Amino acid sequence: MGKQLVISVMSKDRPGIIADIATVIYDLGGDLADLNQSVLGGYFTMLLIAEFEKNITPADLFSGFSNIESETKIEANIKEMEVKLEVEKKLLPRETFIVTVQGDNRKGLVKAMGDFFYGNNINVLDLATTREDDKYTMIFQVDLTSVPSMEAFRDNLNSLADQEKLNLVIQHNDIFMATNEVGTQLEILKSD
Amino acid sequence: MFRSDQIMATVEMVQKENLDVRTVTMGINLLDCRRGNVEETCKCVEEKIASYAGNFVEKCNLVAMKYGIPVVNKRISVTPAAFVGAGFTSDEFVMLAKSLDKAAQQAGVDILGGYAAHVEKGITASDLAFIKSIPEALAVTERLCASINVGSSHKGINMDAVAMVGRTVKDLAAQTADSGGFGAAKFVVFCNQPGDNPFMAGAIHGVEEADVVLNVGVSGPGVIAKSLKRIIGKKGRENLKLDDIAEEIKQITFRVTRCGELIGRQVSKELGVEFGVVDLSLAPTPKIGDSVGEILQILGVDDVGAPGSTAIVALLNDAVKKGGIFASKAVGGLSGAFIPVMEDAVLAEAVGKGALTIEKLEAMTCVCSVGLDMVPIPGDVDAATISAIIADEMAIGMVNNKTTAVRLIPVPGKGVGDIVSFGGLFGESPIMEVRNANKSGRFISWGGRIPAPIHSFKN
Repeated sequence: MGKQLVISVMSKDRPGIIADIATVIYDLGGDLADLNQSVLGGYFTMLLIAEFEKNITPADLFSGFSNIESETKIEANIKEMEVKLEVEKKLLPRETFIVTVQGDNRKGLVKAMGDFFYGNNINVLDLATTREDDKYTMIFQVDLTSVPSMEAFRDNLNSLADQEKLNLVIQHNDIFMATNEVGTQLEILKSD
Repeated sequence: MFRSDQIMATVEMVQKENLDVRTVTMGINLLDCRRGNVEETCKCVEEKIASYAGNFVEKCNLVAMKYGIPVVNKRISVTPAAFVGAGFTSDEFVMLAKSLDKAAQQAGVDILGGYAAHVEKGITASDLAFIKSIPEALAVTERLCASINVGSSHKGINMDAVAMVGRTVKDLAAQTADSGGFGAAKFVVFCNQPGDNPFMAGAIHGVEEADVVLNVGVSGPGVIAKSLKRIIGKKGRENLKLDDIAEEIKQITFRVTRCGELIGRQVSKELGVEFGVVDLSLAPTPKIGDSVGEILQILGVDDVGAPGSTAIVALLNDAVKKGGIFASKAVGGLSGAFIPVMEDAVLAEAVGKGALTIEKLEAMTCVCSVGLDMVPIPGDVDAATISAIIADEMAIGMVNNKTTAVRLIPVPGKGVGDIVSFGGLFGESPIMEVRNANKSGRFISWGGRIPAPIHSFKN
């Protein structure tokens, strides 16, 4: 019976960093089940799930990562899973919405939105933010399945927008799929 | 997760470019409502419309709220009334008209289309009674719209009907003289009238359709105009060619159509009603920034009607179809750019400047839908001249295998340049000049039919 490890890695970004990390895992007999990577401010970060046939320990991986040449030391966190993680692609909840928020950049914007969603018992599925000049943009993908009234929720969002002086728009996820995706349209267009 | 730029582009389209769904129209078959007498028929008509459209407006609003895309108009179209009331007298047709008006009011829709007849080849006694009833029917109702199909590419043009509807237009205007002849604004004469068009005043539920369907009209020209301004501002006019413009129109229409179809299908799901078609037509409203004329100006003519206007409309119409047809599973209706004079502030302005004439409008209708639409003319133009204008427009549709229509308003007591205003979606405009009036009487008095054109040797 193999084991599953969740590994997070951070390093200064450079060409070949994915190849080096994947090589360490491959050499230890690991099979990548899923991964997610991103680069922010010149820093590369990757979160991955790997399955190993042999009894590989976090120490084996740390040792492999320490041999990777990099401008900064590779920082890694590794967690051994007792219960196997489900890595199949999960479908988004039916009531997935996109909330876009724009405002003058200042401290506490993400916190304000995070507090709002938490206060309304709303799970944030994904978040992307950008800062351009003095404008800060946040794009939240949220699950509104537990929201009892859309009308009331929109009112609450509008109050928040007024209070925090933000330009805030909420739109169903399907609108973005319909207007941007060619291939995924058929499913959401089905009327039966 | 989507790319942030795609999300922001869509948000911009909804928020700044006023993306909406222009109309969701429920088509209802009324053929099975015919009973032994007019009272029972009317009762059944009202009941059937109420049973299907009772919660139509509510469901549209619900879906619009959920998706954050407004559904501007909710309308109903029905089987042409001349079929439903075959054998009725004119007075009985007027009773049916009142009944349809009442049903529309009860369903909470502002317009119901389908007070209509198809007489492109021959006219029955019942059709005659129906046509005779139109002026009164539209004068005594508030929400009803009427249409007559007088020609088709397969059957030719029924010139007896054309002569008749010229007089109908005059009578309609006379009966509603207090409101500037507004009755004529609710009456359209067609060649090749489609049975799945969701736009008024010419919407009907064709006899070829299922019992109940939902058809959707996509967002208006404002979205296209604003997106063109954006791309020209961003890339610079000197770096763009007309094919780039066509490509931009195509892409924005793709998005607009997808939105329309998504909302329409969700409404039809909520109502348990079959989804029909998406009509790609760009329908302007008198609101500033929602004008087909503005697109023409952006593309390079200073006034609509200047040379080049027809070519621009051709480009626009084609690009809209290319983007929309790829986006949608089912396209239908009229699907082209509308150029209704009173309903488009920039067109109305061009009329005021003397830049836009009926002849140029007619030329533009050769390359777009739907015809001479919402054209106010002097009240003293004779019926034969109106019929002859209709005949010309019908000929364009017949020969080119396309839908054309005429909605002329001879405004009682007013002349060229006077302003007529109907308010709301019907808009306002200076009255257009009809040149060469009173010169077509001998042609119209022939009657009979213009035979259907040959469909080969197309040079």
